[in-house]
Amino acid sequence: MTKMDFLERYGQEDEPYVCASCGNCTLVCPVFRELKWESYGPRGKLHIVKSIIEGEGEFGEDFAHKIFLCNLCEHCTSVCTTGISLDRFWEVARAEVRQRGLMPKPAQFVLDSLKARGDIMWMGSADRLLWMEDIEAIVKDRVMKSAKVAYFLGCNVSLKSQLHDVARSMVKIMEYAEVDYTILGDKEICCGAPLGWAGNFEGINEMAEKNLELIHSLGVETVVFSCPSCIQTWSEYSRYLKEENDLELLTTSQYINRLVREGRLKFDEQPMVTVTYHDSCISARVLKVTEEPREIIEDIPGVYNVEMTPSRQSTRCCGAHGLLDVVDPVLSSRIAEMRLRDATVTPASRIITECPRCILAFDLAKFTTGYDMKVQDITQIVAESLSPNDVGGDEAK
Amino acid sequence: MKVDEIRIGDIVGADNVSTTHETCMIYSKDVTSLPDMAYQIISPKFDVVTQPVDVPSLQNLVWYALDNNIPLVPRGNGTSGWGGSIPTRGGICVDLSSMSRILYFNEFEQAITVEPGITWRDLLAFLGRLGFTLPVYPSSATAATVGGFVASGGLGIGSTRHGNILKQVLGIEAILPNGKIVRLGKVMLDPKSDTLQEKIEEGNSWLSQELTAAGLGTPEQESKLITGTYGTLGIITKVTLKTIPNLQLVPFACSFYSMTDLVNVATKIISEAQPYYLRFLADNYTSKLRVLKGHELEEGKYVLTGALLDTIYQNEDNIERIQVITKEENGTTLDDKRAWFYWDERLYPLRIKRHGPSLVPAEMLAPLEMLPDILDETKAELQKSKVAIEGTLSNDGSSSFMVWILDDERKKISFTIGWQRSFQIAALAEKFGGLPYAVGLWNGRHAKKFYGDHTYKELKIMKKRLDPNNLMNPVKVFGGRVTAGRISTTFGFLVGFIIALMGGGFVPSLLGWEWLTQLMNSSLIQAFPVPLLLLVSFVGGFAGIAAIRLMTLNQALSIGIPLLRVLSKILRK
Ligand SMILES: Cc1cc2nc3c(=O)[nH]c(=O)nc-3n(C[C@H](O)[C@H](O)[C@H](O)COP(=O)(O)OP(=O)(O)OC[C@H]3O[C@@H](n4cnc5c(N)ncnc54)[C@H](O)[C@@H]3O)c2cc1C
Ligand code: SF4
Ligand code: SF4
Repeated sequence: MTKMDFLERYGQEDEPYVCASCGNCTLVCPVFRELKWESYGPRGKLHIVKSIIEGEGEFGEDFAHKIFLCNLCEHCTSVCTTGISLDRFWEVARAEVRQRGLMPKPAQFVLDSLKARGDIMWMGSADRLLWMEDIEAIVKDRVMKSAKVAYFLGCNVSLKSQLHDVARSMVKIMEYAEVDYTILGDKEICCGAPLGWAGNFEGINEMAEKNLELIHSLGVETVVFSCPSCIQTWSEYSRYLKEENDLELLTTSQYINRLVREGRLKFDEQPMVTVTYHDSCISARVLKVTEEPREIIEDIPGVYNVEMTPSRQSTRCCGAHGLLDVVDPVLSSRIAEMRLRDATVTPASRIITECPRCILAFDLAKFTTGYDMKVQDITQIVAESLSPNDVGGDEAK
Repeated sequence: MKVDEIRIGDIVGADNVSTTHETCMIYSKDVTSLPDMAYQIISPKFDVVTQPVDVPSLQNLVWYALDNNIPLVPRGNGTSGWGGSIPTRGGICVDLSSMSRILYFNEFEQAITVEPGITWRDLLAFLGRLGFTLPVYPSSATAATVGGFVASGGLGIGSTRHGNILKQVLGIEAILPNGKIVRLGKVMLDPKSDTLQEKIEEGNSWLSQELTAAGLGTPEQESKLITGTYGTLGIITKVTLKTIPNLQLVPFACSFYSMTDLVNVATKIISEAQPYYLRFLADNYTSKLRVLKGHELEEGKYVLTGALLDTIYQNEDNIERIQVITKEENGTTLDDKRAWFYWDERLYPLRIKRHGPSLVPAEMLAPLEMLPDILDETKAELQKSKVAIEGTLSNDGSSSFMVWILDDERKKISFTIGWQRSFQIAALAEKFGGLPYAVGLWNGRHAKKFYGDHTYKELKIMKKRLDPNNLMNPVKVFGGRVTAGRISTTFGFLVGFIIALMGGGFVPSLLGWEWLTQLMNSSLIQAFPVPLLLLVSFVGGFAGIAAIRLMTLNQALSIGIPLLRVLSKILRK
């Protein structure tokens, strides 16, 4: 009989029994919607866990693989009738998969890469400077400088060339608003989120702390993130933040919205752009940041937001979260296609979001479906809509 | 049972069939956690799960099952708890959730036709965008399918104004157990996209003859065959439902210190304000929920919550009326925020399960005025158990009365024994003129009372005509033989063995049956290599097995429940 005492270790032993089998979670689960068998959905997986506890099932390779077929998108958690923190449950199960040596190979690669290189793509710290090309003169002096605000790019924005414009746009916005900011440059390392997704909780605090030590030494009061998962991870795992919680962690949209409200950003009239805002799972369901990006869009003259169904906290996952994009890229892309279809049935010609993984996922889905739709980060549409510099910044205050 | 996965894959599509252990196990569950003992009288899992996507392939599947004598069990999303969608004899699970299209909507006729697998939530979202809503939908709307609720019948949100869901069904299309496709009542479709007309003509004319032979009406008049009969007489493939304009929704909520006050207010509100929806939560429900965020304010009180769905002017008058009535009966009207909170919570009655972690449910239909008495007696009978009670009020003076008994299924013995409490509550409610709320599998014993003698007789006649081999959702509603598990088989053997042993050993001499004793000692029998008494006992044992195998589910329950009750009395003392 397979031992399941890990559940007790993490305080999860009641949860499979607390499940009311109501099916709410299953019907919103992107993986279930795509694979359509309950054994891939949350309710079904809890039944499997129960059957393993009862000695009627096996915690083998097949189950381990199923546990990784999940976006950790928090959708099931947000609708659960009995308040089960299902995402936590899946992460705990992944930790057990790792303990038992049953990790899917691509997930193991991510862990190895984090250990060897400090990022998820087997690159290296030097590569974290590549995005600065062309704007080196502007940002050079900002690297590791004492400042009130730090901009934390995260692995995807730092290392993926498709996303370099996101960082450049954020720099443009902060320069425009004359923000006293700093960046960690090649000293930045992964926030630690993928460790949790791959079931290695022990290493997360350490990675978060390495970044936080630097941030602390620079006298930073506010950290602005291009990736919402970094905020979630630090808030959940960093001991430093738990003990000294005077550090403000904001998504780019929260920070930009603040700049707009302070009158530090001014926009030019745009030539009638209809966009649709895609809430990323973590921004909407965990950080509850749904209104700020919409307020920003509303403030850009000539840009109109139409809502996708579903949106805000009921948003659908892009398919790329939780390592699904590496464990099963085909499934991940099919989920992205499904969400892209929600956008294509609106009159919008552009998707705006604030998560680098969503951008990558939609770019791929555009390619596989042939849908022609521009996908941008909120920073990009803001940066390209700014009025000429002389009316922004302090003068505008 | 051996099933031919490839052949079934040819019929419904290879991607739409699964025989994996996990899938078959998961689809064999509904929301009720059963004690292990239950699997001694029903089979633990399906042999195969299918997800047909259209009517022709579903028809072929029914024919295949008929040819091969394999049971079929329709399933929506498995959100009911009366065993209607679980296997009793293995066989094929027909998961209808992939058939979920909206086929027809006409705002002037105020009707919508859908496939059975669409969830109520998706249907409500569609109608909401067009300014309409549904007269009745279940509080499981987020996951339950239209087919599942229509097949079960019952009260839901909207029933306080509109009654049972079955009154909202204008027509249904179904595949009968013999594979014929029929339409009962009035199924509305765009004739241009209706590809089944020929098959329907054939099916309906056959059914007309059968109905006439059974002394029943026309197919147009006999929707009751398929609605509310738990998929025992056919698989629903289309449903035409009434819709209503989505007028102004105004939730309200009031709290009370006694159930009698609550019932008095509810009765007046129903007659004077015709609310869309009314639900009550008893003191033991609100006190258990207090630890869940947002539920602490009415801790330990009786809460009446509901909503008006009317014009702005009507609503303004009615809200005032509700406030006055509540005050007159010592109640407190809660503010809008609480009213909306309870409205949003209408879809989450199972939150209470957090306190279990398991639940033993008991649900009854009872006259509204009897609720305070039933509540008191229930509390008295279940003093030693953790219970939480709530219910929905209908427009005909009745109410569903849900008793959630909190338990822990990991404590195997006490959970098994404690199961009889569900049946105990049913018996108690019957004393006050109550009925089981639903039939499904577990309440088959009460089917006659539930449907009424006359209707039940008609349904039974039609079951025989339409499904002589009892393959469509067997054992549900109409009962049938158990599927004996290893323990029940062993139990049967042991009981038979012991009875025969006693019968062959002491009893003849005790009763002075000399002739039997002489026969046993006769030299003829002594010639057997095995002692005769043992032989007789074995024969008794095998007779015991046969008796178990021939036993119907209802007989098994009639024996098992009192037994558990006695055990419970002994052990819970
Ligand atoms: C949170 C919650 C709230 C609930 N609220 C209510 C409520 O307000 N009122 C109420 O009455 N019940 C309620 N229920 C019970 C249950 O949800 C309903 O009975 C529901 O309608 C079942 O739908 P389903 O799609 O899950 O069907 P299932 O549970 O899968 O099936 C129910 C029955 O219908 C049969 N069936 C399913 N589909 C078909 C079909 N297409 N053709 C023929 N037969 C079919 C099955 O064989 C079975 O007998 C609730 C349950 C939960 C978990
Ligand atoms: S986290 Fe998302 S993908 Fe994973 S089970 Fe829940 S809903 Fe499905
Ligand atoms: S929503 Fe929660 S209670 Fe309902 S089936 Fe999913 S895990 Fe279980």
